[in-house]
Amino acid sequence: MKRPEIHPISLPRVPHYEVTKAANGTPLYTLHNSTQGVVRVSFVFRAGTSYQTVPFSASTVVNTLSEGTQNLSGEQIAEGLDFVGSYYDANIDRDWSVVTFCSLGKFIDPTLDIAEEVILRPSFPEREIASYCAKRKEQLHIQRSKPEQLSRELFGKSLFGENHPYGITSSEEAYDDLTPELLREFYQAHYNAANAFAVISGDFGPEVEERVKAILAALPEGKEASREIPPLESVPFAKESLEGAVQSSVKIGIPLFSRTHPDFIPLQVLATAMGGYFGSRLMQNLREEHGYTYGAYAAMINLDQSGYFVMSAEVAAEHTDEAIAEFFNELERIASKPIGEEELEIVRKIIVGDVMRIFDGPFGAADVTIENIQNGERNNYTEHFMERVRTITPAELLAVAERHLQKNRCTVTIIGA
Amino acid sequence: MINYKEHLLSNGLRVLANEDECSAMAAVNLLYQVGSRDESSERTGFAHLFEHLIFRGTKSVPDFDGPVQEVCGENNAFTTADYTNFYITTPKDNFETALWLEADRMMGLDITPEKLSLEKSVVIEEFNQRFLNRPYGEQWHTLRSMVYTRHPYRWPVIGITPDHIRDASLEDVKDFYERFYNPSNAILSVSAALPAERIFEAAERYFGSLPAGRANTHSQESIIEPAITSPRRHTIESNVPADQITIAFLMEPRGERGYYLCDLLTDLLAGGESARIYQHLVRQRQIFSAANAYITGESGQGMLILTGQITPGTSVEEAEEALYGELELLVKEPVGDYELRKVQNKFEANITFGELNVMNKAMNLGYYSMLGDMSLLNGEIELYRSITAEEIADYIRRNLNRNQSATLIYRSKR
Repeated sequence: MKRPEIHPISLPRVPHYEVTKAANGTPLYTLHNSTQGVVRVSFVFRAGTSYQTVPFSASTVVNTLSEGTQNLSGEQIAEGLDFVGSYYDANIDRDWSVVTFCSLGKFIDPTLDIAEEVILRPSFPEREIASYCAKRKEQLHIQRSKPEQLSRELFGKSLFGENHPYGITSSEEAYDDLTPELLREFYQAHYNAANAFAVISGDFGPEVEERVKAILAALPEGKEASREIPPLESVPFAKESLEGAVQSSVKIGIPLFSRTHPDFIPLQVLATAMGGYFGSRLMQNLREEHGYTYGAYAAMINLDQSGYFVMSAEVAAEHTDEAIAEFFNELERIASKPIGEEELEIVRKIIVGDVMRIFDGPFGAADVTIENIQNGERNNYTEHFMERVRTITPAELLAVAERHLQKNRCTVTIIGA
Repeated sequence: MINYKEHLLSNGLRVLANEDECSAMAAVNLLYQVGSRDESSERTGFAHLFEHLIFRGTKSVPDFDGPVQEVCGENNAFTTADYTNFYITTPKDNFETALWLEADRMMGLDITPEKLSLEKSVVIEEFNQRFLNRPYGEQWHTLRSMVYTRHPYRWPVIGITPDHIRDASLEDVKDFYERFYNPSNAILSVSAALPAERIFEAAERYFGSLPAGRANTHSQESIIEPAITSPRRHTIESNVPADQITIAFLMEPRGERGYYLCDLLTDLLAGGESARIYQHLVRQRQIFSAANAYITGESGQGMLILTGQITPGTSVEEAEEALYGELELLVKEPVGDYELRKVQNKFEANITFGELNVMNKAMNLGYYSMLGDMSLLNGEIELYRSITAEEIADYIRRNLNRNQSATLIYRSKR
């Protein structure tokens, strides 16, 4: 059978939001998509883990917002959301926390009743906090018997430094020292107008917008959160053994910079070529040629005050050394020979396809918007991003790779055999 | 609510089309009615190994991924006990590339000894990563072998042991391919902002000339797993971080009323933060640091699972009592209308949230077509709405007691 002709692919249309401000200046971004009868509201705060001075306080605050408020118990909150089938999610990374409510359009009112309580009036009740901490302490203990968790932690502290806010890990016992008082302090410093914005997406009318705006307007003013980001203290190599491991979890990283740096997009393209899709170099080499692993990946990670290039795989224990050698062979290859035009064209298509898939469905545009706003950009950044990817040349990529992807700047971490 | 049209090719390929309203993407889903239940007990894990192999190229398309990537597409696959599912998403104008690729590999697969040997090592690493190199990793192997004595559900999709994967021969590969990978045994479903007629016409063009082959009737379908009649228990002492208890009950096949009762029942127990197990046993009594209840969802006799990781200082016996206590409570005080409505609302919302992109819609179409009753596609919510508190109490009384259970306990040596 003859291969079908390839129809030209038009770049995805990036939805543009409207922005308004609540009375206290907190921005609200709205994205309308009226086809599916669902609404999502996300509240975003400059309240990630790198802002905490007490271990686990940032994540505990966001995770216990729904454990009880001035007017509702944790049970009532859970009950109220579950009754209308609304979906609640509290998420945190190193720089931001995001609290999301998602509901059928017809149930947005009761959902926002609860959102208002959770965002504005959490009470961090003593008993619930103690129960949460005990549970999380135990769960962290369980997580820390898993190679992927150990690997993530070892990599973070080896890349940034043991005491760096982006790399620090704390003992499970630190949960014992958390008090409602400490949580309230963190909440007050970060969950305020100076550190917040919100995004509504999906199928909604002006009354929803007004209600969300009223919630934002009730946030106290506050002042913009800041924290000290010390210089990195990377180590070149770290290894921890895990009894009985049949695989090694390998991560190789290079500390670099955030998305605002002009080389960031070229590095995203390089990371995609290296390990961002099934046909990528690492996947072909480590999985398809050698069978060392089920999957090998690479990515360029963006943080507010930093960023890094990372490659990773879980490899057969007996092939750990060979696998690491292949990682470095690929790193050297990408930094010494220009990418062929054909390969680059595939990488471009992978990236465009990924963006198109994000925009399939009513909420992808909200995620893209949140990320752009967090980085101080507007949604035309995504257009700029795609244009940059479309026009970048092998020579430019090689120059960037030569500049940044050097073996002697790598941090290698291994958990396992 | 997923709208669809259906068309049958003369070689037996079922084609379903959902006309999406707005997406720029098309999703093409191809489901083969073959899963780990069709394996011999000496060659377990084979259906999954084969799913990997079918990406290894044909004579005319040696690199499957290349053409997908050239149209900004993405593809993947998964294997279950009952079926093997392949899907490709592309910008909608290029959906024919996906049809062409799937039709091509339904006939012309080209597996060499080298390709087979390489794929075996990849799958063995998957086995290691997901089942051996992690705490509690062997739990499903153990639990399934306790619950099932005859039915092929007694092994997990990955297989009983990596040795079975090592032993797979090129002969096995050819037999399996001929037996199961043909139009009569497949369901093609497409969701895209395209007219159904256009999708059917293209399906005819790419698949119409393939020889029909035979539909798989799941030779093991006649195997009925006998009921559990006395408690089955097994304890593993190992280097796990916390004690854990998992209680399994044998269920009725999908489509039967008991299936929906169990699904709804586990949602009462663990469907969301407000559900009983979480509120009573995790939050209030702090018996578990994490606990769950769910059904495994096979189309045949699957399992209803109650499980939890036990907090330090709580005994396994107390934890077990507490789980049964929740079941007994539903018998003693049948669940009220409010709570029943809550889980029914949740089903409705989850169904809506699950239909937000073309891929989920195409996948659902294929799955419900495989079940053989398309009325379930949009009709299951009514089934859930018809369930009563008395029915649930009655079901628990008859089916969910210690005599009908298999219990797997992990004791931590820490």
